[in-house]
Amino acid sequence: MAKKQMHPLHWAWAGILLGLLNVIIMNTWVSNRPIGASTAFPFAGAMLAGLKDAVYTKLIAKPGLWEIFFLLGALIGAFVSSMVSGDFKLQLVPDRWKKVKGASAGKRIFWVAVGAFLLIFGARMAGGCTSGHILSGFMQLSASSIVFGIVVMISFVITGKLFYRGGKS
Amino acid sequence: MIKVIILGIVFGVILQRSRVNTFDRIGGFAMLKDFTVPKVMLTAIAVSIILLFIEVKLGMAGFHVKALAIGGIVGGGVLFGMGMAILGYCPGTLIVSTGEGALDALIGLIIGIVTGAFFVVVFPHILPFLGPNLGKIQLLPVSTPWKTVTVVVVAISLFWLARKLDTLD
Repeated sequence: MAKKQMHPLHWAWAGILLGLLNVIIMNTWVSNRPIGASTAFPFAGAMLAGLKDAVYTKLIAKPGLWEIFFLLGALIGAFVSSMVSGDFKLQLVPDRWKKVKGASAGKRIFWVAVGAFLLIFGARMAGGCTSGHILSGFMQLSASSIVFGIVVMISFVITGKLFYRGGKS
Repeated sequence: MIKVIILGIVFGVILQRSRVNTFDRIGGFAMLKDFTVPKVMLTAIAVSIILLFIEVKLGMAGFHVKALAIGGIVGGGVLFGMGMAILGYCPGTLIVSTGEGALDALIGLIIGIVTGAFFVVVFPHILPFLGPNLGKIQLLPVSTPWKTVTVVVVAISLFWLARKLDTLD
């Protein structure tokens, strides 16, 4: 992709639009629920693994299906948007990772597997993620989401500090 | 269904255009070198906390608060924070980054779905460890004037924090 990239959206505008979108989705006549993403993972997994009748699948069927369509939209939106803006690029090892952890594909894949496991298992234990707990829970001053957000930030910063220690960046 | 896909497209475009979906931004935040992600999140919450409060007052939306199950929220938060720091994506941005060609995000997405299926299987066994459940708590005062003051003060503080972080970038 030799195409020149478009200038990114300013953080303040991104925040305003994201906040507006969440409030629109919350409207009783739109979706009557907040933004969320992590329920789609166990729901998709359960459908593919034939776990339709498991206790948890039944519990999450409604939000699970909503989030699958929502994320399908996000995938389409990101694809079209990155094609237009010139950001689309097939890349396995991100630039910033390369600077700190090296260009090894195997090493990146190993840590992606570890990270994705912890991320999704943790999100499902807590019943939400960055979207469903932090963005949506904080806007409602929900105690569970505020506790989750604080614990996540502490764990995120400590892990980042230890994991990316001694990088060349 | 079409409506939810369209909402998802908007979500995907906002994240893609602000670049907060990328490893360079999320991993950069874990390394405390890039604060775009928290700036966008804080602004989004500041905007939505005020708009949602008005929307609920007008009877156009209700609150959807998640229960505070201590074991799940704290344990899940620790795992989620570790996973997000190592992976450099969260559940929603895994999808968005996959859409713009990040192959490590695609691998993370597949592992996330497998983890989701695993969670469905083990859920009945870990259920006892997710409690005690303190219920759906909102940190909002009872009287309307104080509610208004709380919402405005929190929104201003969050936006102030975002501006403060901007000086570090």
